[in-house]
Amino acid sequence: MNQRMPAIQRRDSILKVALALFAEKGYHGVSIDEIARQVDVSPAILYRHFDSKQQLYDTVLQAMSGQRESYVETVVNSSTSFEDVLIGMTQVYIKSVTDNPDMLRIELQSLLEGSAATNDFFKNRWKSFTDYIEFGLNERMSHEIPNREITIMAAGLMFQGMVREALIQKYLQPHDRLEDLSMDELSQELVALFLRAVGIHKSHLSRRGVISN
Amino acid sequence: MSAFDAELDATGLNCPLPILRAKKAIAGLNGGQTLKIIATDPGSVKDFEAFCKQTGNELLSSGEESGKFVFMIKKAA
Repeated sequence: MNQRMPAIQRRDSILKVALALFAEKGYHGVSIDEIARQVDVSPAILYRHFDSKQQLYDTVLQAMSGQRESYVETVVNSSTSFEDVLIGMTQVYIKSVTDNPDMLRIELQSLLEGSAATNDFFKNRWKSFTDYIEFGLNERMSHEIPNREITIMAAGLMFQGMVREALIQKYLQPHDRLEDLSMDELSQELVALFLRAVGIHKSHLSRRGVISN
Repeated sequence: MSAFDAELDATGLNCPLPILRAKKAIAGLNGGQTLKIIATDPGSVKDFEAFCKQTGNELLSSGEESGKFVFMIKKAA
């Protein structure tokens, strides 16, 4: 019965299984044999769709990067204030991980596996945030602040750390404290805290009534 | 042909910065005028297609020039 599956469907099925396995065990922890077994085909058939395990892995990553269009929507639809765009981007990013937490697992696996190409892939995704933050802070931070450059770099790091940590705790750790908090609420709080930390005034009260000054 | 009324250098910037800056630059143009954008982010090709589709501005051309991406966008009238 499997032999009759159309090629596109077979390919999608392989990608789906590969994503789950790479997320669970990392690139080096998974063999083509194992993926083939779970898709219920012979390795030979799998190799008809993908030249190598590396190529399969790269395709899985590429398939994951479909969120970029949504940053465009955020910029087009929201005001162009730094705060609004940052919150919009954060929510888009969080949603993409919410829809597919295996993306986060693959990212963490790759960090430990140390593959330069893969790490560049994920670094590039964060670069959208760090570039944007750097850009926004450069415009707003007083030039008299000592160590201005380091502060801006640290701000980008802090942002990435807090968002990634929130995602890790929300999706990868069972019985998490954040169970009752929606990611939307959490992301708004985090961005509001971040803005206060870098000295940017948020023009309205946050929903919890914490006054920003 | 390749005439334009304003130019935006977005080299080295990742999404969404090229789009954001384009949005602001276009706001400063009159209807019918053209903005030339130079970018290095490979994602910008798809981004500018989406941007034009969503804003109703016309993507006159999208290509490569000396290893960079070059876009011509005409502001809707």
